[in-house]
Amino acid sequence: MEFKKEQLDNGLCLIGEVNKSAKSAAMGFFVKTGSRDESGQVNGVSHFLEHMLFKGTDKLSALQVNEAFDRTGAQFNAGTSEEYTVYYAAVLPEYLLDVTGLWIELMRPALRDDDFNIEKNVIKEEIAMYKDMPSFDVMDQCRSLHFDGHPCGNSVLGSEESIDNLKSEQMRDYFTRRYAPNNMVLACVGNFNWEQICSFAANSCSKWRRQAVERKLEHYDGSKKKKRAEKSNLAREHICLMSSGLSAQDPRRFAASLLGIIVGDSVGSRFFWELVDKALAEAATMQFGPMDGTGAFCSYIRCSADNVAQVLDTVSGIFQSLSRDGITEDELRKAKNKVLSSLVIKNELPMGRLGDLGSNWLYLEKYRTVEDDISAIKAVTIEDVNVLIGQFKPGDFTQLSIGPGEKNG
Amino acid sequence: MTDKIDKHVLKNGMVLLGEPMEAVGSVAFGFMLPAGAALLPDGCCGAGSVIAEWISRGAGDRNSRQLGDVLDGLGLARSRSVGSSHITVGAALEAGNLAQALDLYADIILKPSLQEDQFELARQLAIDGVLSLDDDPRQKVMLKLREQFYPGPLGRSPVGEIAELKALTAEKTKQIIKDNFNLSQTIFSVAGKYDFDAVCQQIERLFESERQENAGQASLGSKAGKYTHLDNDGAQVHIGLMTGTVKPTDEDYYNARVAVSVLSGGMSARLFTKVREERGLCYAIGARYHALKEAAGIMCYAGTTPDKAQETLDVIIQQFNELGDGISEEEIQRAKVGLESSLILSSESSSSRAGSIAGDYYMLGRVRSLDEIKGKIEATGVDSALAFLRGNKFKDFTVVTIGPKQVTVK
Repeated sequence: MEFKKEQLDNGLCLIGEVNKSAKSAAMGFFVKTGSRDESGQVNGVSHFLEHMLFKGTDKLSALQVNEAFDRTGAQFNAGTSEEYTVYYAAVLPEYLLDVTGLWIELMRPALRDDDFNIEKNVIKEEIAMYKDMPSFDVMDQCRSLHFDGHPCGNSVLGSEESIDNLKSEQMRDYFTRRYAPNNMVLACVGNFNWEQICSFAANSCSKWRRQAVERKLEHYDGSKKKKRAEKSNLAREHICLMSSGLSAQDPRRFAASLLGIIVGDSVGSRFFWELVDKALAEAATMQFGPMDGTGAFCSYIRCSADNVAQVLDTVSGIFQSLSRDGITEDELRKAKNKVLSSLVIKNELPMGRLGDLGSNWLYLEKYRTVEDDISAIKAVTIEDVNVLIGQFKPGDFTQLSIGPGEKNG
Repeated sequence: MTDKIDKHVLKNGMVLLGEPMEAVGSVAFGFMLPAGAALLPDGCCGAGSVIAEWISRGAGDRNSRQLGDVLDGLGLARSRSVGSSHITVGAALEAGNLAQALDLYADIILKPSLQEDQFELARQLAIDGVLSLDDDPRQKVMLKLREQFYPGPLGRSPVGEIAELKALTAEKTKQIIKDNFNLSQTIFSVAGKYDFDAVCQQIERLFESERQENAGQASLGSKAGKYTHLDNDGAQVHIGLMTGTVKPTDEDYYNARVAVSVLSGGMSARLFTKVREERGLCYAIGARYHALKEAAGIMCYAGTTPDKAQETLDVIIQQFNELGDGISEEEIQRAKVGLESSLILSSESSSSRAGSIAGDYYMLGRVRSLDEIKGKIEATGVDSALAFLRGNKFKDFTVVTIGPKQVTVK
C-alpha cells in the first residue's frame, strides 16, 4: 500500500492508496455537504442534488451519462447523509480513468429545469418508499426528536412538502456554495496509476472556483424526549433510542465503537442475550454513530406490542448494570476480535477501503492506514470504555416508537 | 487469484470444494445442508428457520451461551440462510482461526443439543419473523411472488407460515433434522487463504460417515394464480412480477443473462430508462435472473404510489414484450461488460466466492472457472440474444401486488 496526496491551488484534495495486487480499483468524490448544512426552506436539497448530478452536463444528457457509466461496467452510485454526499464507482483497473473523468464532468452539472421537474416525482417516490419501511422511518424520526432543532436532526430526504416547494434556483445556489473544490475530496483506492489520475484531475478540476464554506459545529446532548406514533397498518412495535456520543474527530471514538458492539451487536451482545436470545425482541442492535463535532449512540428494537414494557425494562436494566459495574474483560476481548476481523475483511476490497479513506480525510484531514486503526482498537482498555459510559450515560436516551393500535410505548 | 478449484469427495459422498485467493488474509466457508424449504414435509413451512436457529443454541459440550461466546471470541462474521433447496451455515474470518471454527461448526451440524426450552425460543423467533414481514412489504411481495410463480413446493416461503409454525413440535423438528442433514448430499466450500490438505483431513475426521440414501426430490405441483393482491394501507403499491426462462444448465443460459442485463443491468438499461428516467414513475425498479435447479425465471420489482401503479406495470410488461423486437450492438456490449465486470469485482471477496463455487456445484455438478464464464459471455451477441428471445417469448406473467390499490393484469 502506498499513500499519495496532492492539493490543487483551488483547494481540491486528491488522495490515493495504491495497491498493485488488487484486481479492481475504486474512486469517489466526497463532498462535505449533507442535510445538516440545509436551512429549513431547502430541506432535502442535498439529496435531491445528488440525484440531479446523474442528469448530465451542458454536453451530456442523462441517458448519455448512464450509457457512459455502463460502458465501463462500473458498479457505481451515490449517497447522501446528514454529514456528506459521496459519488463512487468500482471498476476493473483499465476503466478507472474513464469513470473518474466522467464523475469529474458530472461535478459541474447542468441542473436543467426539465430534469428537475421530472426528478421531483422520483424523490417523492423515494420518500413514499421509506414510509413503507418502518425500521428506517423510526430512526429518521427519532433523529429529529433527539437533535430537536440542531441541524443534525434534519431529514436527508426532506418531506413531500419541502420537496414540492423547492425551486431549481435554490438548488443552483446551494450547489454553487457547497460543491466548491475546497469542500471536496477525490479519493482513489486499489490498482491504478496515481500520476495519470492526478495529472488528469489537476487539468480538469483546476478551473473550479474556491468558495467560502462553513459548517456549524456544535455538540448537542440530545433532547431525551419520549414519543410514540401509531400507524394502523403496522404489525410490530419499532423502537429507536438515541443518546449522546462523541465526534468523528475524537480519539476515543474506537472505545465508543467497541461499546456499541458490546451492548448491541446483532449477535453475542448484551441486547442479544437479554432480548433476542430470550425471544422478547426479534431484533435489537445498538451502534455508535460518530459525526462532525458531535455523535450519538443509536439503538433499534423490533418486538410485539405485548412485549414493549418488558423490553424497555430489560433495556433499562442493561444500561443500569453497565453504569454500575462497567464492562468485562471478556466482553472487550470478544468485541475487539469481531471489529478487527470485520475491518480486515472489509478492507480486502478496494470498494470497502474507499469509505474509510475518504471519510478519514473529510473528518481528520489525515491519512490513516488500516494498521493504524487496528492498533487503536487493540489499545482500548476497560477503563477507556467505562469512562465513556460514565460520561455519556447511554441509558439517558431520547425514545421514539412507531407501532400499531393503542398501547403505551 | 489462480482460478484453480480444489475438490475432494469423502467416502460418504460429501463434496469439499475450495478456491484459493492469493491477495487475501481472510477465509470464508459454508456448509450447504439439503434441508431447504422445498424439501420439508408438508405442513412444516418455516421449520427451516427454526432449525437454523435451534442448532446454534448449544452443541457438543457447550450450552447456547458458551457456544455463542466461543464463536464471538474467534471474531467470526457468521452467516446463515434458508433457501428453497438448502440451509446454509458458515462464516467469514481471519484465516488463522479456520481450524477452530470448523470444529465448532461440526458440533453445530452433527451434535446440536436440541433442548426443548431452546426449541420454544427458536420457534417464537421464527413466528416473529413471519409477523414482521407485514411491516416490510417489499420483501413480502417477492416471497409471495416466488410462491406463486414456482410450482409447489419449490416456491414455498423459507420464512414460514404462522399456523404451521404454531403446530410444529420439537419432536417433529428433530425428525426433520435427522432425515435432512444428509452428509452424502452436503456441499462444503471454502475460499480465501487456507491449506486444502489440512482442511480435507479435518473435515474427513469430523464428517466421514456411512453413506446415506438420497431422500428424493419433492414431487412438483402446479403453479398458483396469475395475479394476487394483498391489501395494505401503505404509501406505495409494491409490484412483483415474474416470468419463466431457461435454467443454468440450458445452452441458452448466457443469452438469457445478457437479455436480462439489457432489460435491467445498469442505469442505461431499458427498465430504469423507460420507467424511472423518462416517466418518473418509481424510485426502485429492477429485474434479475433467478434460478432454482428445477426452474428459473426473471424476477422484477417496482414500488410506486397508488395512482401510478397501473401505468408502471403496463410499461414494465411492454418492455419485456418489446425486448425481442430489437437490441442494438451498443446495448449488448454494455450488458456484456456489466456482467463480466461484476463477475470479476465479486471474485475479490472470499465470502462471495465460497458461495458461488458451492452454488455452481449444486446447479451444474461442477464449478465453472471465471475464464469459462467470461468466454461464454463474450460469445453472445445481438443475433444470439434475439434468436433466444424470439424462440422463448415471454408469455405468462405472474404478478403480486401489496398496497392500497389493485392493478389489472392484461
